[in-house]
Amino acid sequence: MATDNQNATGFGEVSRVRGIVFEYLSLGASVAGLVALGVLLVYVAIDAFDLANASPEWLLTYFLTLVVPFLAFCLYSADDAAVTRRVVGVLAGGLVAVAGVFTAIETFVVTIPRLSWQLAYLFVVAAPVTAYLAYVGSHGRVGAVGFGLLGRLVGGIAVGLAVGTLFLVFDELVWFLAYTLGVLPAAALYAYGRWRAAARAVTAAAPIGLLGLVAAAVLRGVVRTYPSDLVIYLWTLAIPVAAVGALVVAARGSRTAAVAAGGGPLALATAGGFLAGSVGLPGPTTLIVLAVTGVPTAVYVHRVVDVGEGTVGLGLPLLLAAGVIVGALVVEAWGVPAPDPWLDASYVTEAPSRNAAEAGLYPAIVGSVIIIALVAVLSFVLGVGTSVFLEEYTAGSGLVGSLTRLLQINIANLAAIPSVVYGLLGLGLFANLLGLGYGTAVTAALTLSLLILPITIISAQEAIRSVPDDLRRGSDAMGATRWQTTKNVVLPEALPGILTGTILALGRAIGETAPLIMIGAATTVFSAPGSLFSRFSAMPMQIYAWAGFPQAEFRYGVVAAGVITLLIILIGMNGTAILLRNRAERGS
Amino acid sequence: MTDSTESPDLQRRSGLRRLKEGTYGGFFAACAAITLLTTVAIFATLLSDAVVFFAEIPIVEFLTGTNWSPNPAGGGQSFGIIPLLIGTLVVTITAAFIALPTGTLTAIYLSEYATPNARSILKPLLEILAGIPTVVYGYFALVYITPALKATLFPEMSTFNALSASIMVGIMTIPMVSSISEDAMSAVPDELRQAGYGLGATKFEVSTGIVVPASISGIASSYILAVSRAVGETMIVVVAMGAQARMPAVREAPLGIPYINPADVLLESGMTITVAMVQIAGGDLTGGTIPYDSMFALGLALFVVTLAMNVLSDIIAERYREEY
Repeated sequence: MATDNQNATGFGEVSRVRGIVFEYLSLGASVAGLVALGVLLVYVAIDAFDLANASPEWLLTYFLTLVVPFLAFCLYSADDAAVTRRVVGVLAGGLVAVAGVFTAIETFVVTIPRLSWQLAYLFVVAAPVTAYLAYVGSHGRVGAVGFGLLGRLVGGIAVGLAVGTLFLVFDELVWFLAYTLGVLPAAALYAYGRWRAAARAVTAAAPIGLLGLVAAAVLRGVVRTYPSDLVIYLWTLAIPVAAVGALVVAARGSRTAAVAAGGGPLALATAGGFLAGSVGLPGPTTLIVLAVTGVPTAVYVHRVVDVGEGTVGLGLPLLLAAGVIVGALVVEAWGVPAPDPWLDASYVTEAPSRNAAEAGLYPAIVGSVIIIALVAVLSFVLGVGTSVFLEEYTAGSGLVGSLTRLLQINIANLAAIPSVVYGLLGLGLFANLLGLGYGTAVTAALTLSLLILPITIISAQEAIRSVPDDLRRGSDAMGATRWQTTKNVVLPEALPGILTGTILALGRAIGETAPLIMIGAATTVFSAPGSLFSRFSAMPMQIYAWAGFPQAEFRYGVVAAGVITLLIILIGMNGTAILLRNRAERGS
Repeated sequence: MTDSTESPDLQRRSGLRRLKEGTYGGFFAACAAITLLTTVAIFATLLSDAVVFFAEIPIVEFLTGTNWSPNPAGGGQSFGIIPLLIGTLVVTITAAFIALPTGTLTAIYLSEYATPNARSILKPLLEILAGIPTVVYGYFALVYITPALKATLFPEMSTFNALSASIMVGIMTIPMVSSISEDAMSAVPDELRQAGYGLGATKFEVSTGIVVPASISGIASSYILAVSRAVGETMIVVVAMGAQARMPAVREAPLGIPYINPADVLLESGMTITVAMVQIAGGDLTGGTIPYDSMFALGLALFVVTLAMNVLSDIIAERYREEY
């Protein structure tokens, strides 16, 4: 050091330019992929909803009737003057900035295809501001109530439609017998046992239920007369849902409220189910949707009113519905030219067609729902079983320890095998060797379950590992056996994490296409599948098939609508998973 | 947690309870065994049909042949994997040119520069890139990227081409590079950074001169995983790259040196291993034909390559874990 001191006269100066350039370069790299994806999503949304043909008046109408009231609701809920100022500032400043920049680019550089400055404003300023406000507003009591109600309405409709879809494939008569002879007696016995603290009744519930299921399978071939579909759904689905709802309310408060919360939606659903036929809707599905939506909504409304905080938030669905109706009335009355979206009601309820205007996604949606339901059951059971074994039942050392490590390495490698190879497994093993058929729902479900199994296991393991060891030791000290500890302590604690991981993995399964092609799934089917062993299509398969059509109406219309449908379902699933995780984190 | 139905069993004598314990333990072990069986089943399925295939087509011919035409309209079948390997390599390398620098810079930003708030927003957003279904990416490449590139940079580009497919594969693999690299960078002990600052280094010098070299094995392992993902990627290339197995045209440079113009490969359609499998699967699947068996031979090749890459990545990552 001492010999080399000609530089030691001062600290000198270091140029900051290089560092600053590097920081912004890496920031740019971080958002580059996201910006690219964002632009592509904007274009696909414009194509799916035909927004390129939306007149400025039409956009303005709905902006005023739908977006502005929603923003006002969120601002009211946030109740923060700083947020209000910021939002109004961004909305107004953004309007000037976007219009200016957009016009400048269009005049001096290039014309931007299928985009106007109004649309650019909508996507670049209005949409992020709305998302931000929804986030801020949901932290207020009023906003939380509003979004909670909205979530129950939307979720109830989605679950109801999915259940209705499943009965296209599963025999509702078997379900009727199984429910009446197996599920109902077992549940009643179990509830009685818990209520009266009678251990025998609880122990007997499972065998009795199994016996009932076997009896149902046998009787299905013997019994000839059944009640109508509507009565079956009323008896097996609507009444139990209403009963559970009523019990939840009864546990909190008065009996009259309980009867109202259970009976009101039930009566509405029954009436809706019987009247739906006359308007051309399928009665049983209407009944299920109304029951599954109505009962949780009623329970939620009762709780909100009971607590008495943020009751104003209950008006959010009404506000949005009114916005849509008023907007539609204005558009109708003043003859505002409206766009003709590809993604509309007929798109999701009709069969595919060679004619772009008539093409629909219905059979593919049904196929996807059925596969995902099967995959959910299979991968949940297998995933939880494996992760419990790896986390709770194995030792860290010795022969068992090395076996565990082998399993662990194997699972990590399974997660990295290309999906197309799983398709070959499905083709060779399930379709050809076991003879489950090419492109049937069973083959597809088994293949996709194995495909997402490693992801499910890894996330379930993480959830189980995060359960504190103190709880296990406490349970052990009480004399509980390993299974009792697992069932009573570990699984209830880890369940939200496991569910989150499973739903995220299912999101992967719903978009998988390559394995479905390999097992010979149909690219296009014209009617919904009638059984688990009939050939079916799935949403990504249909998108793949349509993407190959050279006509512009397909490329820029029908496929875009399919992509948006798939993405909406994905967002719904992932949103549910994130909500579950947040709720669990808040609870613990 | 306990109630009267779950009385403690201090002596472990109850036969029913023991049966219950055994049943559940056995059930969990069976579930775990299924994961092992899956690997065995994949290997057995691929191998059994691939063996039949190699009995018909010599393995040397398969590995060195320059022509792939499993279902010819007129002439004879030929099963040479070279054009498919070239297609796969083109996509993988181009995608790597996008994903590796972007992913590394993203990881550096997340680990060294971003505020905790920015990180908590950016990280889940980046995961979205890996969560979009690949068929959707393929559609984006075909319908939006290709026309955009055609209108601006490459007017002579064909509708199905390797470039737009590779761009999308690259974007999809960014989070794979960034998340694993960021984990490795975050694992670098803070003392090393502080020592760097103590010697008068700037933040830039600490990031690129200390953190990156210290986490280089983690970064390398993330690169290999991302490349292995790109090798196995199917739907993007199937939708956007077309299905023409071809050898690139060899041109002559002025001094008689042969070379391949990248534009010939990137702007034209091509075929990867995965595309070849999907194309055969679109036809007859009843089994027993040579094209059917060739699918499994290709699958075996893909399986071996990706497995080797994952094992390599594991080994590299293992070495890095021992460092601190």
